[in-house]
Amino acid sequence: MIIDTRQERLVVVSDLHVGNPYSAASRNLGTFLEDAARRGYDVCINGDGFEILQARFASLAADSVGVLQSLRRVIDAGRSVFYVVGNHDIALENFLSAWSGIQITPFLNVVSGSARIRIEHGHLYDPSFVKSPRFYEWMTRAAGPLLHFYPDVYRLWTAYEGFRHRLHGALHGGGSESVYHDAARMLLRRGFDVVVFGHTHNAEEVVFEAGQRYFNSGNWLRGGTFVEIDHGQVSLRRWGD
Amino acid sequence: MYKRPLQSSNGHGTELSRSYSDGELICREGESNSEMFVIQSGSVRIFKAAPAPAARGSAASEVELALLHKGDFFGEMSLLEGLPRDASAQAVGDAQVLVMTPGALLVRLRRDPTFSFELLRRLSARVRSLNARLLGALAERDSDSRERPVDSLLYSTEAKATETTP
Repeated sequence: MIIDTRQERLVVVSDLHVGNPYSAASRNLGTFLEDAARRGYDVCINGDGFEILQARFASLAADSVGVLQSLRRVIDAGRSVFYVVGNHDIALENFLSAWSGIQITPFLNVVSGSARIRIEHGHLYDPSFVKSPRFYEWMTRAAGPLLHFYPDVYRLWTAYEGFRHRLHGALHGGGSESVYHDAARMLLRRGFDVVVFGHTHNAEEVVFEAGQRYFNSGNWLRGGTFVEIDHGQVSLRRWGD
Repeated sequence: MYKRPLQSSNGHGTELSRSYSDGELICREGESNSEMFVIQSGSVRIFKAAPAPAARGSAASEVELALLHKGDFFGEMSLLEGLPRDASAQAVGDAQVLVMTPGALLVRLRRDPTFSFELLRRLSARVRSLNARLLGALAERDSDSRERPVDSLLYSTEAKATETTP
């Protein structure tokens, strides 16, 4: 298992939720991945790549083929593909590791240029997940059928997450500080320059006082955001812009 | 995008940062101290005093064990075992380290669970390395002194351990 690696050029995407009928990843991700490989970038899928909690197997199997073929073409082009496990795909860990070429990891410490970068899905800092993983999974599964009535249910969840984090910040005197910002600080204190999470679906960049930065790579359900790492320079971008 | 202070108002247990200038000792072999360190910037040399061969009668020398960089950690043995330092650590250039007491480590493990994974991985790698060195040393001894074969020595060690374990 690789957790320490040097990658000069790397793109990070997260929360693809392939298999979810409303995931844009099934339509757009292949083009993005192959373009990244052509431009000399390795790829990191930062968790929740495949949806096994809310999608039917037939849908997951059908949608996965195109993405897996694209990942294969990236690997065949000589690029590396890392897969950081998220809370929606924990059960796929062994399955994915058996699929030759993808490097499965719980988190990734990347050295690029002179920067040390931590890439992690981020669910370990979600109080709801940590306090009761089974209940969290049950709630996630229960939300699955809602997708058929309201495809943008994820927007509600994203709005709820934002509200919850603002509430947390207000209660702890940190303004709009979120648990993820606090977790990023903990990591930055042990020698990282940049921390990249996914999980919240909220693409964002936060610059701390010392110049250290936190990124969230967003999602590919309705989004298409990614974090680009190029010789130590890190930026948040949107595919197609 | 907005700016945030790096120091959190929530606190970080009893963690604190310390700065050292080039050549300054961070901890000394043999001293009793139960802090561990994570390198926030710069490099740190880990070394041990090695007594010179008695026949030569010269002063003790040093053996460099490792040169560590940003993100690496050291000093965990004394923290975990409560024993005196097994080696010394010295700043190479200006260095800043995060200092953790046992209590601060527990807080960090609670709030930064991947740190325990990295700590265990480091200790596991060390055991693997020591096993390889033990095998190498035993093989060398076996070939030099024509004593029992390596397999026999290992079996003997295992058997002895089993015999003395309740």
